[in-house]
Amino acid sequence: MGAHRFSDEITTSLQRVAFEKSVSWVVAGAILLIVAVPLFSIEWTHTLRTVVLGGAVLGVVCGALGSFAVLRQQSLLGDALAHTALPGIAIAFLVSGRSLPALLLGAGVAGWIGVLLIRALTTTTRLKQDSAMAIVLSSFFALGLALLAYIQGRGDASQAGLKSFIFGQAAAIVERDVVVLALVGGAVLLVMIAFWKEFKLITFDPEFAHTVVLRARAIDLVLSLLIVIAIVLGLQLAGVVLMVGMLIAPAVAARQFTSRMEPMVLLAAALGGLAGGGGAFVSGLDAGLPTGPLIVVAAVSLAFVALAVAPGRGVIWTWLAERRDRRNFAAQNVLSDLYRHCLSHDDPMQITDESMLVNLRGDAARIALRQLQREGLVHGDGRLWRLTNAGVDAARRLEM
Amino acid sequence: MAVHIASDALSISAPTTRLNTGKSSFEVEDLTVAYNSRPALWDVDLRVPEGVLMAIVGPNGAGKSTLIKAALGLIPRAAGEARFFGKSYEQARQLVGYVPQRGSVDWDFPTTVLDVVMMGRYGRLGWLRRPTKRDRDAALAALEQVGLSAFAKRQISQLSGGQQQRTFLARALVQEAQLYFMDEPFAAVDAVTERAIVTLLQTLRANNKTVIVVHHDLQTVPEYFDWVTLLNVEIIATGPVSETFTDENLHRTYGGRVGALTAAPEAAGA
Amino acid sequence: MQGIETIIVQLLVSVFSPEQINAFLGDPRTVAVIVGSMVAASGALLGTFLLLRRMSLTTDAISHTILLGIVASFLFMVFVLGVEPDLSSPLLVIGAALAGVATVLLTEAIQRSGLVKADAALGLAFPLLFSIGVLLIARFTSNIHLDADSVMVGEIGLAWTNANSYCLERCDPVVITPDDPRAETSRICTNCERDAISPRSSQAVFETACANCGTYSAAEAWRLRLIPEAPVLVYFPRAIGVMSVITLINLLFVGLFYKELKLSTFDQGLARSLGFRPGWLHYGLMILVSIAAVGAFDAVGSILVVAFFVIPAAAAYLLTDRLAPMLALAILIGVVGAYSGYDLARGTLFGIIQISDVLVLLDRVIGLGGQTTWDSSISASMVLTTFMLFVLAWVFSPRYGLIANFARRRWQRQEFAHQVLLAHLYNHGDQPEERAEASLHEHFRWSRERMRWVLSGVRAQQWVAVEGGLVTLTERGAHEVLDFRKTNLQVQ
Repeated sequence: MGAHRFSDEITTSLQRVAFEKSVSWVVAGAILLIVAVPLFSIEWTHTLRTVVLGGAVLGVVCGALGSFAVLRQQSLLGDALAHTALPGIAIAFLVSGRSLPALLLGAGVAGWIGVLLIRALTTTTRLKQDSAMAIVLSSFFALGLALLAYIQGRGDASQAGLKSFIFGQAAAIVERDVVVLALVGGAVLLVMIAFWKEFKLITFDPEFAHTVVLRARAIDLVLSLLIVIAIVLGLQLAGVVLMVGMLIAPAVAARQFTSRMEPMVLLAAALGGLAGGGGAFVSGLDAGLPTGPLIVVAAVSLAFVALAVAPGRGVIWTWLAERRDRRNFAAQNVLSDLYRHCLSHDDPMQITDESMLVNLRGDAARIALRQLQREGLVHGDGRLWRLTNAGVDAARRLEM
Repeated sequence: MAVHIASDALSISAPTTRLNTGKSSFEVEDLTVAYNSRPALWDVDLRVPEGVLMAIVGPNGAGKSTLIKAALGLIPRAAGEARFFGKSYEQARQLVGYVPQRGSVDWDFPTTVLDVVMMGRYGRLGWLRRPTKRDRDAALAALEQVGLSAFAKRQISQLSGGQQQRTFLARALVQEAQLYFMDEPFAAVDAVTERAIVTLLQTLRANNKTVIVVHHDLQTVPEYFDWVTLLNVEIIATGPVSETFTDENLHRTYGGRVGALTAAPEAAGA
Repeated sequence: MQGIETIIVQLLVSVFSPEQINAFLGDPRTVAVIVGSMVAASGALLGTFLLLRRMSLTTDAISHTILLGIVASFLFMVFVLGVEPDLSSPLLVIGAALAGVATVLLTEAIQRSGLVKADAALGLAFPLLFSIGVLLIARFTSNIHLDADSVMVGEIGLAWTNANSYCLERCDPVVITPDDPRAETSRICTNCERDAISPRSSQAVFETACANCGTYSAAEAWRLRLIPEAPVLVYFPRAIGVMSVITLINLLFVGLFYKELKLSTFDQGLARSLGFRPGWLHYGLMILVSIAAVGAFDAVGSILVVAFFVIPAAAAYLLTDRLAPMLALAILIGVVGAYSGYDLARGTLFGIIQISDVLVLLDRVIGLGGQTTWDSSISASMVLTTFMLFVLAWVFSPRYGLIANFARRRWQRQEFAHQVLLAHLYNHGDQPEERAEASLHEHFRWSRERMRWVLSGVRAQQWVAVEGGLVTLTERGAHEVLDFRKTNLQVQ
């Protein structure tokens, strides 16, 4: 029996893996199709193409690095980091005007300072991580808002682009920006690929990683740095307030469709690119809509769909499987009840009244009897039941 | 054989003759570790000869895991040093294998059993280099050795606790080390896994490897190990099981509760 | 809500003259500080428990998602009920409370599925709900009085302009009838257009129409100059009324359930076994957080609210170990922060530093385009001053402050190092090579300087003696070793 079940388990597991793979491909294809259709029916202006391209590049980078943030259980640290970037953007603007590299640098430095401050708070006081994050993110964000109000007071024409960092505005991305974003994003992805196995190990088992990997501390720092860069890049698109959604939703969705890290990061990058490009596309058509909320609604909805329907893992699947198990269990119980009734009368063909079983097992007995009937294990007219020969055999096996 | 024993008597010169049997594989000198100025390890001196199976036993909070982690540089030391075959950890990295506690990682991580085992090769590979077929074969062989061949492609969340433990052991095996540290490998595992670990330990010793195991089941110490260290913040005693694992030493390690402990070893467990 | 406001106004009137009251409540600074203080006080009351229950980030999430509740209620009022919405409408409060509870339920549901870790669950739930809120605002912003700016920072600086008026004298309503001399009447031909005839035609039928007939309250009548003499009016900012009610509710809640809150915060299990319902308190707290956040929304926007909940409570937490003083300190810090925040927005930090001086200096160094006046967001500045108070507590707290900690750590490290040395000498008393003064530092991997420092410390205590390059434990030192051993070593 043990050997039988063991091999069974392996086959179902292998089947499931194959099935999962095909399902994720079908889902990915379907999403692509749905998104692709409207693309042919509109006029592609130069600006729109730039904006969508920029959005897609940022989405890919955020999706890929977001996977690490999720797996390291640092989603909310990402949220804090995005908020703390705001004063950095404002200060960079004050110092050097609206140059994208300067703004990104300012955002990165401020975000890093914010994270260090959170760490300092948790290590030197008895405040817990969540409170430390709330304190730092809200006060840095307030500083950013105060600085923005000051900059606004200057009546500087180019400050218009700054506000887009709060809720994100893809339309603010110009062609020169796309080049910068693509270069930085490409570099981030290259480093990720180059140190793939180190990053994977340090994410899965940091303790072990520190004992085997050369300069694990430096690797850890580089990975954190890449996540910071991804967040900072994404700010223009998703905005500081909603960045966390864009960072983690693609990764959470991808995680539901695969149980390996390589396809997870690939899928997350694809979904991120899709959400980023799609969000930029919609807000490019309708400049009144901020990009961040569009992307986040799209990406998080996708994640929720994934949580519900993911094959073998999603909520619906679990629920169905549990129901099946419950029913099988009830059917087995009823089968043994019938068998014991037979034994007690020493007659394998002993007839049992349905009401007796219902008294014993509740209403589930009715469903169980119908199921056993379908499997040809019992025979009856809806009121009186007896075991078939196959049923007696099955019950005997169960009793063993 | 003289055993390093910290004396309770008020004598200024405590009897301390260093152990000296052949080459030592692992050596700790004056190691002190503190958590918020409270000593977790106190002036620990330890020398482990090559080719022994050693258990570290002691009550909860006695610093057993701390000793391993401080030696491997995972937590900061207040004083002292650890040497592996006479070298520092940085130099001897390739010679040392480590099996962390099973609960230290997220078993819902998206990766397969084979992948986890391959991670043991990463240190050998160095930066940037991808695992080759040879690494893969080594990983598969290690899985065979712990009886998990059929599970190579499984997602790790589908494993039982014992299978998780054996996966970690396989990962340490592919490190092809001379000295292994195992942190509570026997904690909450099934009988099959316990047997598998014991067999593995014996194979390792047959190949003249040194294995240092944080252990909590006093009853199995004489059966599984040939060397033992009794630890309670300080080293109480260390040496061959036959000489060191005495009632007197156990009493000094566990205080008055030793009788209860040998009767119900679980009480000392995590 | 109106009732409480009336009571407050009556109290005020019984003490002060209407002119005094209007001068007081007509001052933007006063109103902003009062509203800010009440936001901070109710935030601090709830925040203290939220901090201790490790729910600071849940508060952050709720303060975001009440936006969706507010917008949805707004739209419901405009499009379904067809009424002009008002931020103090109870419907809005209910909508926001629902949104707050929905956030918590959604997060808990995602977590319960076991597919997503707790941090990611929160990171999915609130961005989604907040995004929907922002999109709705962006789409319907022309119809309703809500825009992205007020979502960000609120309008505490304008709180004084939105006031209810209370009449004290000459309050009779004015009724204008068509024969009143003040009526603006006109004669309108009712059949001219229909029958295509000139109004001068004899067949034209006329009717008298009155443009301003009706009943006016005294305040309206005075505004339209229908009455010659102004009624005596007292203006009471609505935000103060709303926040008073919310602060009162929070005070009552904390006052009535103090014991239960305290117990369930520190020991959920014990609270349950004693027959309390921690679940009820949990959701009650969440609903109050939502309500307080709605009240604060108008004043400080949706994103800064969390600061008023967490920062004062955290500062108080660093200053005291006991719950009641912590509550009081949190409120005090919040109020002081709100008070000094208004000044910061107008350019003075704690009455000491003029921001414009700093800006002039910065302008000279890095060039700010010559703008040296500082006029900034009031709510953001209130958060900043509160944060500065927090930093002061963090640095100077006598028990948990950085300075106190640093001094204590240093002392402990020194003590510890002494004991390490003594223990070594004790264990290796018979091995001269382990006690050589010149090479002693090598055993501990310490620097020579540190070794010298430690050695001088133990010599001062007369725990060791140095003779002929050898360090030896004294009798006194051996006692010290054993004492330390007794108190610090050997667990169980």
